[in-house]
Amino acid sequence: MFRKRLVATSMVVAIIAAACGGSASQAPASLAPGDTAAPTEVASNLADEQILRIDIIGEPPTLDPTMASDSNSIAVLNAIHRPLMYLDHDLQAVPSLAESVDVSADAQTFTFTLRDAMYSDGNPIVAGDLVYSWKRLMDPRLAAPYSYVLDVVQGGPELLALAGDAAATDATIDAALANLGVSAPDDKTFIVQLATPATFFLTIATLWVTVPLQKAWVDSSGFAEAATYVGSGPFKLTTWEHQSEIVVTQNENWYGDKPTLTEIHMAMLQEASAQQAAFEAGEIDLAIVPSEDLARVTSDPVLGPMTQKVATFSITYYNFNNATGPTSNLNFRIALTQAIDKQAFVDVLYGGTGLVANSPVMPGIPGYDETINPYPFDLASAQAHMATALQELGVASPADLGKITFGFNPGHEARVAFLAEAWSQAFPGMVFDQISAEFGVFLGVRHSGGYTISRNGWGADFPHASNQLFGLYNCGGGNNDSIYCNEAFDALLDQAASEPDQDKQVELYKQAQQIAMDDAATIPLRFGASTVAIAPYVSGVVVSPDIAQNVGDFWYETIQILKH
Amino acid sequence: MATYLIRRFLWIIPVLFVVSVITFGLMHAVPGGPWAREKALPEATVARLNAKYGLDKPVHEQYINWVGGIVTRFDFGPSYKYVERSVGDIVADGVWPTVQLGVMAFLLAILIGIPLGVIGALGHNRWPDYLSTAISIVGISTPSFVLAILLVVVFSVTLGWFPTNGWKGPNTWVLPTIALAGFPISQIARYTRASMLEVTRRDYVRTAHSKGIRNTAVVTRHMIRNALIPVVTILGPILAFLVTGSFIIEKIFSIPGIGKFYVQSIGQRDYGLLMAMTLIYAFAVAFLNLIVDILYAYIDPRIRYS
Repeated sequence: MFRKRLVATSMVVAIIAAACGGSASQAPASLAPGDTAAPTEVASNLADEQILRIDIIGEPPTLDPTMASDSNSIAVLNAIHRPLMYLDHDLQAVPSLAESVDVSADAQTFTFTLRDAMYSDGNPIVAGDLVYSWKRLMDPRLAAPYSYVLDVVQGGPELLALAGDAAATDATIDAALANLGVSAPDDKTFIVQLATPATFFLTIATLWVTVPLQKAWVDSSGFAEAATYVGSGPFKLTTWEHQSEIVVTQNENWYGDKPTLTEIHMAMLQEASAQQAAFEAGEIDLAIVPSEDLARVTSDPVLGPMTQKVATFSITYYNFNNATGPTSNLNFRIALTQAIDKQAFVDVLYGGTGLVANSPVMPGIPGYDETINPYPFDLASAQAHMATALQELGVASPADLGKITFGFNPGHEARVAFLAEAWSQAFPGMVFDQISAEFGVFLGVRHSGGYTISRNGWGADFPHASNQLFGLYNCGGGNNDSIYCNEAFDALLDQAASEPDQDKQVELYKQAQQIAMDDAATIPLRFGASTVAIAPYVSGVVVSPDIAQNVGDFWYETIQILKH
Repeated sequence: MATYLIRRFLWIIPVLFVVSVITFGLMHAVPGGPWAREKALPEATVARLNAKYGLDKPVHEQYINWVGGIVTRFDFGPSYKYVERSVGDIVADGVWPTVQLGVMAFLLAILIGIPLGVIGALGHNRWPDYLSTAISIVGISTPSFVLAILLVVVFSVTLGWFPTNGWKGPNTWVLPTIALAGFPISQIARYTRASMLEVTRRDYVRTAHSKGIRNTAVVTRHMIRNALIPVVTILGPILAFLVTGSFIIEKIFSIPGIGKFYVQSIGQRDYGLLMAMTLIYAFAVAFLNLIVDILYAYIDPRIRYS
């Protein structure tokens, strides 16, 4: 990627806006918990033309919900599809396409009852379509990037394993797909059987990859052009000028409350500065203020009041190589952790936007615990730990460690320099080899443990602790680039995933984080936040959950355009 | 002449072949792959995707398959980034905005650059020369993104005359064309000026003057025509550069062209798209150089090809 992307699918939450520090929270249309689609403005205040103009940053790589894995695509998919469940404004999963859901006492059987609903082409949405689309997601032949989210479904792990088996025949794959724990006893009932209890499964059922698709349509039409595209959301794809603009219009067959907006124009501006310029020229209604424009925009008498800070479900952290090199020593990792003034890091490098992070789970997600901070900034203690570490490593001074490799990709120079400088000052003689590598090269070396310290970041796919820990800190996890491994941590994660009681589960995730942070597995630094600009005539932007590219793009249907 | 042209044209084929082999080899020698991302995909998924697109095969086999697809079906393969679309579709969509922008910028560069150079030369060491040189130096040393952003700030955000972005009609064409033409204007002006100064001292110019031909006629008929020969040489590469698109201008103005794929496709290891872009550029350079050679014969009757 040329530019640092918003970390993957990114969920942005502003429950946390308060925690994010003193930003004037624009009062969103007041909505009761559980209420997802209720525009509130009185008609007399509304503009005649109900067109929202936003920027989705670039051409969506695909609008096939099964295959999509990036925020450009998800920003569009949120408008034109709707899954069984959807997040309400408090990030709780509530029925959407499903009229109701019944969860068995052991949290292993989920029975969804579907509404009377239609696709944008007028065909009814039946439970069999969900069976089809879920199996499609898990089909190894398609190699969908997000198939892993269904690894808790019966038969799911087997299918994921098959994906890596190039020798697997069609017959083997079809047999495994037939065993996937999804079924449709009738058109209105969709049953999911889990392999292990997972209370967070309802949150999985809110993801864009789980929407219903008609087999006949998928087989006959592609996802690449608007003319033949069929969805099931409040809006439908009307035009798609590749690399230029997408227009969605009201879907007259949408089963929910009719949105006030008649059209959403989605530009593809590619450049943060272009987006800001377009906003200031009045060409788009929402923008994320680029960091280089922050000071100017927030202090501008006109633009300033249009902005607000929105916390994001993302974290900036740095990997310590737990397997080899000096960072395999616990005291060494503790020393590095205690030598960093994280608040200064946030203030200096992000203009104070964002929150200091001391553990992986982001604020706003159950399992976040601000008391987990075993090694706060303390230079004296850092130096004491370093002395012990050097003794254990059998060297006299940090200089004897040689150059410590510190890997990153272009765009992160300032952050890396800040950390390297802080460590060099705290531990005289310590020298870093700051290696800037092209993004693709960097990812490969980082993943194979080629750096002693490396840059990293994570954006939540869904607001659940499991998504911020599993794969990242468990032994051999696919994104565990610190090569951290502690069986006690793994055991707690397993236990938590199968704990049906929400409170107990959250407690287990906290305990797990405590272990990983006691081990100083990584150094978490900052929970993300953005400053967004919203045109004053745009009402009903929910500055709460989960956004892909723009604040409010998870619930387009609540947005209204005021007279202006 | 015709034989010469055909021979020259056919020479483009081995040129493209060599360019493609080198690029293909280099591209696969670079670590990383199209499926690398900040959030690592499961290894099983990566293996599956590699098998699906034949990326698990030896490089020479991949090359043969790729060439085979082009030769037999004119199929440039799939895009790994825009998975629903083929490289052919993407290029076909984007090539016209890019070419249109390039040609407009080229014409603007000639229309301004040549007169600017001529004026500079005719007013040698006087204020027209200083003005012309000053404009050229500013144009050469201002990066296109600075000029582009400046234009947006002044003419879009502040004055509101033109949209900040897009490619939807004449009013969206103005700013990108100027921004893209900035550099070639200066380049052409400098070449023209130097070349004009060169011919000023030539005998035939002195002869023309001494025959009592009007000054304007000497300048237009004798000087400019001769001075343009070296200028035409650089017009070929300039046009090739312009019509194949600018990464920066297309990004800043959000133009749905192909220019941005030069850089993007490398970062994303979108091998098929990268190969297509390289071939387009190689073809444009080779083809336009051929056109330049033909133009020589037209401008300078002494040049004959056989």
